[in-house]
Amino acid sequence: MKIAVCLKQVPDMESKFKIVDDKKIDESQIAFKINDFDNYAVEAALQLKEKFGGEVVIVTCGPDRAAKDIRQAFAMGADWGIHVMDPEVEAGDNFVVASTLQKAIESIGDVELVLTGVQAEDDQAAVTGVIMADLMKWPHCTNVKKLEVNGTALTVNRELEGGLNEVIEMSAPAVLTLQSGINEPRYPTLPGIMKAKKKRLDVKKAADIGATAKSKTDFIKMFFPVSEHKAEIIEGDAATAAAKLVEKLKNEAKVI
Amino acid sequence: MAKILAIAEHRNGKLTDASLELCKAAKEIASAMGAEPAAAVMGKDDSIAKEVAKYIPTVFSVADAALEVYTSDGYTQAIKAVVDAQDVKGVIVAHSYDGVDYAAKVAMAIDAGIVSNCNKARVEGGAVIFTRNTYNGKIQEEKKVNTDKFVVTFEKGAYDMEAAGGAGAVSSVSASISNVRTKSKGIIETMAGAVDISQAKVIVSGGRGCKDADKYKDVIVSLAQKLGGEYAGSRPVIDSGWTDAARQVGQSGKTVAPDLYIAAGISGAIQHVAGMKGSKCIVAINKDPEAPIFNIATYGIVGDLFEVIPAMKEKL
Repeated sequence: MKIAVCLKQVPDMESKFKIVDDKKIDESQIAFKINDFDNYAVEAALQLKEKFGGEVVIVTCGPDRAAKDIRQAFAMGADWGIHVMDPEVEAGDNFVVASTLQKAIESIGDVELVLTGVQAEDDQAAVTGVIMADLMKWPHCTNVKKLEVNGTALTVNRELEGGLNEVIEMSAPAVLTLQSGINEPRYPTLPGIMKAKKKRLDVKKAADIGATAKSKTDFIKMFFPVSEHKAEIIEGDAATAAAKLVEKLKNEAKVI
Repeated sequence: MAKILAIAEHRNGKLTDASLELCKAAKEIASAMGAEPAAAVMGKDDSIAKEVAKYIPTVFSVADAALEVYTSDGYTQAIKAVVDAQDVKGVIVAHSYDGVDYAAKVAMAIDAGIVSNCNKARVEGGAVIFTRNTYNGKIQEEKKVNTDKFVVTFEKGAYDMEAAGGAGAVSSVSASISNVRTKSKGIIETMAGAVDISQAKVIVSGGRGCKDADKYKDVIVSLAQKLGGEYAGSRPVIDSGWTDAARQVGQSGKTVAPDLYIAAGISGAIQHVAGMKGSKCIVAINKDPEAPIFNIATYGIVGDLFEVIPAMKEKL
């Protein structure tokens, strides 16, 4: 089975964020990593390859720094990849990214399954996979918590509210967006890391793969949220703060 | 008159709370734009549409046997039929599990831009400007569409629920639903374990910051026991198998409202907050002073939970 995994590089959310000109984040203090949800997609693809054979191709839109995390997926076991490195795409919205990923996947040929995370940790949009499926004219399922493949027959569990899952049957080719917890992503091994350095990574511009989509949304500005209800911060070292907190819980809030 | 169309959702024959929030959103946005609020309801008959008419003046019902159970193909075709039949300027969808599954597909079908996971909207110069969370809630951004129509999804709680009271008109819109490519085989319960944490007066909840299963047990479970309460966790704790799914708090787990909720090593993503914001007293312990959990907590300690919690236990 030939599987494409769409992977995004995102900031570590525990980074210290600074906003520049109301427009973008200052990247100088940010550590980047694989979008957690996409990491599950890499693992799911590798498990299918181990079971049925085939190929796992990583497809990413992003700047130069994203190559590090494509190689990380290679070190986990992915075979090769396409890195669309194009400022026009990076400035585009989810529709532009989805359209570009679709063209990149089309250029691979004979892909039977596209896996990606349900959302990216940074933009939290959860729309790219669905738009991609629509452009491909393939069915999709979002928030997938379980996946069984039998030839082209797919049985998936779609996560719902309150611990419920819907069991869904569909046919490949399809796009599935995976929810966290579907598997336990592996860590790269040392031999894996060595091999990853030599794996094929095609760097493309949007024009190379015929991607021409234009954004359907405009970004206006970004800002830090203003909270209406900010916690009373209890100061002091751990022991002092803990003692004050226990005191407050007993005598002020009266909840213990 | 142009219409702003809220999509009402239902599960097991019951209208969701989020649908009532969307009725409110449609009314507010329509009023600011000089448009008319309306709702669309997909179902096997128009029984839910009649229910929705108590909350919004105009309801379009798309009734078809193929719409008894939600599918993205079915919903998209039905919503497109309503948009084609009416002068719809904007489609408002819940950022729910179903909403995430079909909203972007609807946007493609009606050639509209989509702004998803929003928490606010305002109208400026005829355009709707949406505010949304990014970077795990640490940063907000504003976006708008540059297309004629818009599709937006709103996170749970973005608007108050509309109160019942009106007697709106239900009219039916016909759609031919065909080529539905996903088949629902039913809904199953996945929460293992019989524990019901929703009844506890005190809940101590751990997150990714607890590091591993042993440390989670050492700090979170032991503090919960010392306080005579229950222990729980945010999504990463359950995904990593540190405790069982029945103890997950949040959108995909349990909704709780104890007297005391201690969130340790939990950043406070909206999906988690949705499950515990009704707690009477919330304590946040996190080493990241910018963690969004501090925005909703009563008391906060910026520090290492592995130092703070043992110190708390000594004082109890």
